[in-house]
Amino acid sequence: MAQESNIVIDHGRSKWSDLWKKEDYLAIWLGFAIILVSMIAYFNFGPQADFAQKIGAADQIQAAESSKAPFKTIAWHKAQDDKGKLKASGSAFGKFVGHWTKKPGSWKTNPLDAFVRSEGQAKAMNEKALPKYEKAKAVSDAALSAALTSEQAAAGAGFKDTALNDEAKAKIADWRKAHKASGDAKKKTGNNPYNYIPTLIGLCIFFALIFGLGVKLMGENFTSFVKGFVLVFIVSVLAYMLGGQAVSKQYGMGAEAWGVLLGMIIANTLGTPKWALPACKVEFFIKTGLVLLGAEVLFNKIIAIGVPGIFVAWVVTPIVLVCTYIFGQKVLKMPSKTLNIVISADMSVCGTSAAIATAAACRAKKEELTLSIGLSLVFTAIMMIVMPAVIKAIGMPEVLGGAWMGGTIDATGAVAAAGAFLGEKALYVAATIKMIQNVLIGVTAFCVAMYWTMKVEREAGRNVGAMEIWNRFPKFVLGFLVASILFTLIDSNLGKDMGTAMLNQGVVKGGTSLFRDWFFALSFAAIGLSTNFRELAKYFKGGKPLILYVCGQSFNLVLTLAMAYVMFYLVFPEITAKI
Amino acid sequence: MGMSLLNQAGNIFPGFLQGPDIMAKKSLIRRLAAFVFVLGVTFAVIYGLFPWMTHSFDPLTRMSQSLNETGIDPSRYYYTDVEQVRESEQYLRGVLDQ
Repeated sequence: MAQESNIVIDHGRSKWSDLWKKEDYLAIWLGFAIILVSMIAYFNFGPQADFAQKIGAADQIQAAESSKAPFKTIAWHKAQDDKGKLKASGSAFGKFVGHWTKKPGSWKTNPLDAFVRSEGQAKAMNEKALPKYEKAKAVSDAALSAALTSEQAAAGAGFKDTALNDEAKAKIADWRKAHKASGDAKKKTGNNPYNYIPTLIGLCIFFALIFGLGVKLMGENFTSFVKGFVLVFIVSVLAYMLGGQAVSKQYGMGAEAWGVLLGMIIANTLGTPKWALPACKVEFFIKTGLVLLGAEVLFNKIIAIGVPGIFVAWVVTPIVLVCTYIFGQKVLKMPSKTLNIVISADMSVCGTSAAIATAAACRAKKEELTLSIGLSLVFTAIMMIVMPAVIKAIGMPEVLGGAWMGGTIDATGAVAAAGAFLGEKALYVAATIKMIQNVLIGVTAFCVAMYWTMKVEREAGRNVGAMEIWNRFPKFVLGFLVASILFTLIDSNLGKDMGTAMLNQGVVKGGTSLFRDWFFALSFAAIGLSTNFRELAKYFKGGKPLILYVCGQSFNLVLTLAMAYVMFYLVFPEITAKI
Repeated sequence: MGMSLLNQAGNIFPGFLQGPDIMAKKSLIRRLAAFVFVLGVTFAVIYGLFPWMTHSFDPLTRMSQSLNETGIDPSRYYYTDVEQVRESEQYLRGVLDQ
C-alpha cells in the first residue's frame, strides 16, 4: 500500500474542477504564475530599450569591422564583450528576486560560511585573489598591446597581406585567451559579505504559503502541510550547505544528492516525524519545477554547432535510449518498466534533469528516481575523471574528445569540468553538445508520457480513445512543453543577443531557474524523508539496474564516438577546422 | 545480526538502516546512535576519504586544481546552471559565423 501511494494516478474522467483541484494543473498554474511575473517584470519594467540601443551600437561596430577585415578584429571582440555584459538580472527586480531566493553558499572548512560571511572574511578573500588577478590582467594587457600592433600592421597593408592577417589573427586569439583568464581571475576578487539566514526564513514562509495554498485546493490540511514543510525546507537548506562544500561539489555531490541522502538517513534512523509526512509532496514540487524547467528548454539551441551537433546529440541519444530500454525489457527482463525507462533516459540524455522529467512523465516511484540518480552520480564522477585522462593518453583530437564527452557524461557541470581539463576547444564542443542534448528532455518527457499512456498502462486488448488518452496523460507535461515552445519562440524573435540578455540572463537566471532549483531541492529532500531504505534496496536486488546502466553507457560510448568521428572528421571537416 | 556488508534486506548498515517502520519501535537513544553513526560514516567518506583520494592520486589532484581555477561546479546538472556553456555557445557561434 505504501508503494501504491507513491504513484500518481488520474482516476476517472476529467472534470472542470480538476483545473484547481489536481496536482498536475496546480503545478502548471504555479509554474506559469512565476513565469508570468518574471516576464512582466523584466519586459515591462526592465532594461530592454536600453539594451536594444547598446546591442544596436555594438552590431554597427561589428558590421563595420567585418566589412573592413577578413578576421574578427579587436574592436569586433570588444563590441561582443559589451553585448555579453548585458544582463537583465542586474535590474532592480532581478536583484530583489536574487536576494530573496539565495541558497547557502560555498565553503571549505567551516559550514557556517555557507550562511554568513563577514566583511572581514570577504575582504580577506578578495585580497587573497587580487595578486593573481593583477598578474592575469597584466598578461591580458600585454597580449592586447601585441594584438593591436599586429592588427595595425595588417591594417597598414589594407588587410591584403595574408601573412600579416594570420599574424594578427593569432595575436588576437592569444589576447582572447588571456582576456578570459583575466576575467575568471577578476570574478574571484568580487566576494561580498552576506547573511542568508533572514532571507531563508522569508523564503520558507513564502514557499509554505504558495504550496500550502495548492495543498488546500487539493483538499488537504493547510496547517499540517505548513508544519511539516518547515522540516522539508530545513533538510533542503542543509542539503544545499553540504553540497556547497568544495570537495563534495568536485565529486558531483550537490544539493540534490545530499537532499536524498540526508532525508533518507533521518527517515531510516531517527524516523521522519509523522507530522512532517503531509509536507513530503514530492510530485507537486517536481512537477512545478519541471514546468519552470520548460522555460530553459529552448529548441533553437540545437543548431548551435551545426549538423554534427544534431547528429551526435539528437540522433545517437534517442537510439541509445530506446535500445537500452529494449535491452532492459528483453534481455535483462527488468521487472519495473518505469525503472528501466528512467535509467535509460538518465544515462542517455542528461542525467538528473532527464531522470526527473522521465520519472514524472511515466509516474515512476520515488525509489526508482533515487536509484537512477544515484547510479548517474557515481558514473558521472568516474567518467569526468577517466575520460579526459584516456583521451589525452591516446592523443585523441580535442574536438572529437569534447564531442564524445559531451554526448556521454551525464551532468552538464561534469561535462564542462572534463572538457576544461582536456583543453579549451574540448570545453567549447563538449559543453555545446551537452546543451543540445539537454534540450532533448522536452521531447523525451512527452514521448515517454504518450507511450506510457497509450501502450504501457493500457489494458490488454483494449483500444485507447482520444478522451482516455487525455484523461490519463500527465497534464504537467503539457505545461512543460508550452513553456518550452513559448520561450523558444520569444528567444528566436528577440534575436540571439537580446534573447540572451533578456531571457537567459533575465527571466530565467533572475527568476524561473532560481525557483526551479529550490523546488527540485525540496522534492529531493521530500523523497529522502519518505524513502524506506529497505524498499530502495529491493529495487537494486540482482544488480540489474547497474548492469543496465553499464551496458547502456558502453553502447552510448561506442555509438557517440563513432558518430562524432564520422560527423566532425569525415562529413563536416570544415566545421572542425573552424573550431 | 549479519556481519556481511549487504544483509538479506539489502541493508549496508545492518541494525542501523532497517527502515522507518522497524526503527520507530526502537528507543530514542538507539535511534540517535544510529543517526550519528550513519551520518558520521557518510561524512567520513565525503569529507575524509574524498579529500584523501584527491591528494593521493595525481589525476584527481589535477582535476581538483582545474576545477579550482575554472570555478566549474560539476554538481550542476542543467546547461543554464553552467556559465561555461554560454561562453562555449558564444565562441562556437562566433567561429562558425552564425
